[in-house]
Amino acid sequence: MTTAPLASRTTIARTAAAALLLATLLLVWEASARYLGLSALVLPAPSAVAKALWAGTRSGYFWPHLQATSIELLLGLASGCLLGFVSGVAMGEFAPLRRLLMPYVVTSQVVPKLALMPLFIVWFGFGLTSTVVITALICFFPLLESTLTALRQVDPQRLELFRMLGATRRQTLVRLKLPAGLPVILAGLRVAVVLALVGAVVGEFIGANRGLGALIIAAQGTMDTPLMFAVLVQIALLGLLIYGLTLALERKLLQPYTDAA
Amino acid sequence: MTSMAFLDLAGVGFTYPGWPPVVRDVDWALGEGEFHGLVGRSGSGKTTLLKLAAGLLQPDTGQIALQGRRGIAPGPDLGFVFQSPTLLDWQRVIDNVLLPVSLTQRPTPRHVAHAEGLLAQLGLSTHARHYPRQLSGGQQSRVALARALVLEPRLLLLDEPFAALDAITREELQTDLLRMCAERRTTVLFVTHDIGEAVWLADRVAVMDRGRIVDDVVVDLARPRTPAMRTGPAFNRLCERLRGAMDLATA
Repeated sequence: MTTAPLASRTTIARTAAAALLLATLLLVWEASARYLGLSALVLPAPSAVAKALWAGTRSGYFWPHLQATSIELLLGLASGCLLGFVSGVAMGEFAPLRRLLMPYVVTSQVVPKLALMPLFIVWFGFGLTSTVVITALICFFPLLESTLTALRQVDPQRLELFRMLGATRRQTLVRLKLPAGLPVILAGLRVAVVLALVGAVVGEFIGANRGLGALIIAAQGTMDTPLMFAVLVQIALLGLLIYGLTLALERKLLQPYTDAA
Repeated sequence: MTSMAFLDLAGVGFTYPGWPPVVRDVDWALGEGEFHGLVGRSGSGKTTLLKLAAGLLQPDTGQIALQGRRGIAPGPDLGFVFQSPTLLDWQRVIDNVLLPVSLTQRPTPRHVAHAEGLLAQLGLSTHARHYPRQLSGGQQSRVALARALVLEPRLLLLDEPFAALDAITREELQTDLLRMCAERRTTVLFVTHDIGEAVWLADRVAVMDRGRIVDDVVVDLARPRTPAMRTGPAFNRLCERLRGAMDLATA
C-alpha cells in the first residue's frame, strides 16, 4: 500500500470524527432544550437559533450590521497594525526613542482600553470612528511588541556581515532585519487579528447602534435569546474567516522560509 | 617578496572597555598572495585581531595598512568568512552568493554568470536555485566561501570557517579553499585553533597567546598540498613545533 491513500484516509476519518462530534453536540443541545423544559429565554434550541439566523439573513436584517462590524474590524486592524509596525521599526532602530516612549506605550496598554470607550464617544462621537479607534488601539501593541522583538533578535554575525559588506542602515533594515524577523512579526499579526474582533464587537456594545455587538445589546433588550445566538454564530464565522485569511497570508509570505522546492 | 607588505600591522593594540587588553603590540606583515594561518587557544585574541584586520574594529594603538594605505575599512577589497555560514535563509543560494553585489547595484547577467561559475567550481551548480536549509553543513560553508569571493577580493579573512564540520568534509573544503585562492592569488588570513589545519593550508603560521604573536613559523611543504602530506614527517615536525610554541607561551 502506498502512503498517499493512507494519508487521505486519515484525513477523511478525522473530518468524519469532527462532524460526528458537532452533530452529537447539537443533538444533545436540541434534546435538552426540548425535554428538560428550559425556557427559550435561557437556552434556545439550535433549531430556533437556525430559524432566527435564516430569517435575519433572508430579510437582509443582519447585512448592515455584519457590514458595519467588518468595516470597523478591517479599518481598525489595518490602521492599528500599520501604526504598530511603523512604531516598532522606529523604536527598534532608534534606542533613545524607545527609552523615551516605552513607558507611555506600556501605560497606554495597561489601562483597559474599553474603559476609554466613553471618552472616545465624547471625542469621536457615537459609531464607526470610536469603534475603529478602539480596535486600532488594541491591534497596535501586539504588532509593536513583535516588531521590536524581531528587530532586536537579529543574529550579531549577520549584522557584522552586513557591516563588512558596507551596507547602509536602511539596507540592513530592509534586507536583513525585517526579512529575518518576518515570522515573529506575523505571529504578532495573528494575535492582533483575534483581538481586533473582540475590540470591534465589545466597542459596539458601548459606542454604536449598528454592528453585531450593537445587535447583541438590542437582542438583550428585547429578550430575544435566539437572535443573540444567531449573532454569536456570525461573529464566530467572521472570526474564523479573518483568522483563516491571516494564516493564508502568512503561508504565502513565509513560503521562502519553509518551501521545500 | 616585495619590500612593502600587503597587509601590515604595526604596534597594534586593542582593549574592550573594562577588560584587560585583548590584542597587545602586534607587529605582523603579510606578503601579497601568501596564505597565513593564525593559531591560538580560545580567548587568545585571534578573532579580535582578524576583526581589526577587517576594519570591523579600530585599533586603540598602532597602525594597520593595506597595500600601504593606512586605516582599513570594510569594502570590496575584503572578503570575510565567519565561523558559521551566516547565509540568509529566505534567499536562494545564488542570491546569497550575489549579496555583496546586490547591496551596491542590481546584479547584471555577467555577475550572475560569475556567481554561477563560482558555485560550479565548488560543486554546487545544481543547488543554485535551492534555499540554504536544503543544503548540508559543508555545502552551506561552500556557499559562504563563494559569497566571500564573488567580488574577487584581494584579501580574504576567515574565522574558523570549518570548525563545525566533520573531518572528511573539512578536508574537502580545505582543498577547495586552497585551489580557489591559488587561482586568484588571493592573500589569505586564516584563523583556526586546529594546528594541523593551519600547517596543511598555510605558507606561514603565527601563534597567538594572550594578545601577542609569540611565534611565526614558515611552512616549507611543497605546493600543491596533497592529502598524503597530512601524515608525513615534515608535517608532524611542524605541528610539534607549533604545539611547542603554544605550550611555551602558556607556561
